[in-house]
Amino acid sequence: MKKITGVFLLGLMATLLFSGCGKKEDNTIVLRVNSWEEYIDEGDWEEGDEIELADGRVIFSESGLVENFEEWFYETYGMKVRVEYSTFGTNEELYNQMTMGDTYDLVCPSEYMIMKLMAEGMLEPFSSDFYDVTVEENYYIKGVSPYIKSVFDDLSINDQPLSKYAAGYMWGTLGIVYNPEVVSAEDASHWNLLLSDQYSKRITIKDSVRDAFFAGSCILNEEIINSKSFLEDENYLNNLSELLNATDEKTVNAVEGILSEIKDNVYSFETDSGKADMVTGKVVANQQWSGDAVYTLDQAEEDGVELCYSAPEEGTNLWFDGWCMIRAGIAENRDKKIAAEAFINFISKPENVVRNMYYIGYTSVIAGGEDDTILQYIDWCYGAEDEEEEPLVEYPIGFFFGDEESDDYTITTVESQTRRQLFAQYPTKDVMEHCVVMDYFDPEENTRINRMWTNARCFDFGW
Amino acid sequence: MIPYAVFLVLFVVLPLFVIISYAFTNGNGEVSFENFIHFFQNRKTIGTLLYSTAIAVLTTVFCLLLGYPVAYILAKGEIFREHSLLFLFVLPMWINFTLRITAMKEILTFFEGNLAYHPFFNTVFCMVYDFLPFMIQPLYNALTKLDDSMMEAAQDLGANRLQVILKVVLPLSIPGIVSGITMVFLPSMTNYVVLDLVYNSTYIMGSLIGSYFSAYDWHNGSVISLVLLLIICMITFISNRLTRFEPEPETKKRRTA
Repeated sequence: MKKITGVFLLGLMATLLFSGCGKKEDNTIVLRVNSWEEYIDEGDWEEGDEIELADGRVIFSESGLVENFEEWFYETYGMKVRVEYSTFGTNEELYNQMTMGDTYDLVCPSEYMIMKLMAEGMLEPFSSDFYDVTVEENYYIKGVSPYIKSVFDDLSINDQPLSKYAAGYMWGTLGIVYNPEVVSAEDASHWNLLLSDQYSKRITIKDSVRDAFFAGSCILNEEIINSKSFLEDENYLNNLSELLNATDEKTVNAVEGILSEIKDNVYSFETDSGKADMVTGKVVANQQWSGDAVYTLDQAEEDGVELCYSAPEEGTNLWFDGWCMIRAGIAENRDKKIAAEAFINFISKPENVVRNMYYIGYTSVIAGGEDDTILQYIDWCYGAEDEEEEPLVEYPIGFFFGDEESDDYTITTVESQTRRQLFAQYPTKDVMEHCVVMDYFDPEENTRINRMWTNARCFDFGW
Repeated sequence: MIPYAVFLVLFVVLPLFVIISYAFTNGNGEVSFENFIHFFQNRKTIGTLLYSTAIAVLTTVFCLLLGYPVAYILAKGEIFREHSLLFLFVLPMWINFTLRITAMKEILTFFEGNLAYHPFFNTVFCMVYDFLPFMIQPLYNALTKLDDSMMEAAQDLGANRLQVILKVVLPLSIPGIVSGITMVFLPSMTNYVVLDLVYNSTYIMGSLIGSYFSAYDWHNGSVISLVLLLIICMITFISNRLTRFEPEPETKKRRTA
């Protein structure tokens, strides 16, 4: 990391030095990108990190995707581009940076923040060329998972589909990491685990309003959700989404009560300590995003502890981060828009997607379309052969690739992977069937929910 | 003088002004008392105010009870008249407190098994551990300045050891006690990092401010900051009165002695 930071600082100094003098004569496009920390392949892989795919290709990264993009853009479009890459820590921080006057061209917030920015008219729509599947370089539209694409098409703000303004990057679910030696898979498949006496003071929950609210909301509605009539309703998913997105006074107050109970029942509300506490055994279950869950599972494995991941039955929160262009940054500059769209396409190119997934550990929204690099990579990660000690199973991931019938999208893997990293990265179809996106809260709802959150955490004398 | 004035305006007066203006306005920029009403009418926030006051009072009392004898022995004890010993007590101040609390957390976990069962005790315990040096230092300073001949005089006039301490040493060290209390009381009301580290999920005043500010609700955050500011003012006011009344005639005597 130090080396990367060093290179980055040098790069920054160089940009500072040269940005002053070269402005007039060259027409380099400057693309200001703002994304999450450590959320793109920064290169500098060590020996042994090579990914050898089934077809013999070896994927390795030396210089990082941002630098590669600059070279690729010049070769492909004949224009020079310089990426000014900066990072943010939370969606709110990004939003605040922008309202305080920082301008970016391309940012990568989470779903609810994309919706908020869209609602506030801050985003620039993609050009029609971006959706042209006949163009060789349009890796995003050619490769995006049909499942994710339909999610992006179905979500709309002010009658405009999300896909018009945002292109997906990484996605996942909200679930529970648990220690199978202590917690049964059945217990971990319900959100009311957070209230269980049996595991009292041995569970952690995320110290975040939205995640806690979602879990609380699921517990509040668990009877309705698990009722037969609800499950069999033809509008099941819509009803579920409506139910879990309810933010009326009554619901919020009821969730406050549940969260107060959770507060007294859990080990802690954690931001970062959950992973370590799982490994040391202080806690036996822990609310996590699937991306972090994979990391936790990997880390625990290195320490000889086998953990599992579950996506509770009541419902799980489908989250994603997506790239969107900022209207004020692009400022109708045609070249800049081309560069921004090209950046998205470049990082959606299957080999680059693999580099990103390997480096970050999250799951990309790109399935690859006709290109099977991603599938090969999943097989490289989780595929298993006969001689292993554990029984092998066929794990279907066809829903993600948009073809549930075909056998092509099946990974032969050890049985435990159906509850572990592979499951966290590519959940099964029945998990996806009760996956809802959590909308953004408008200012009024936001105040109500934040107030609820503070109240749930305050000391209650009981009078 | 001018640099100081500029500093004061930039870093004291202006921020205070900003806080006050945020506290008395709402999201639309209109003047309003809504935020204050919300704070004082909500039994949950009042609950947290009382909860953090309880933590702060207990922390201060324990720091004083533990710190006073230590400071006394360091300053007046026969064997310990070496600065190196004070150094040993103040040394932890130079180690980052999160590191110290993290270490203490592991020790507590070793004894308790699961920290989540005693959040209040753990919080007070770690706060005392954290703030003890801040209590000892001012007490030590006050006690070293105390002239030995006064204690001898008291003894000569027939006071026993207990009387000497209660009637001479204690009143004369009140300025030290007061500054020790101010150094410990307020930070322990707001230092929510300690709570986070020992897994206490209940908010104290500091966490409340933090939660409002991280939700970009600067108005309510400012209100709570102002409430705390009022508490500081009250404590300073009371302690000023205490220091003014008690020791002044004594200090005069000392100068002539």
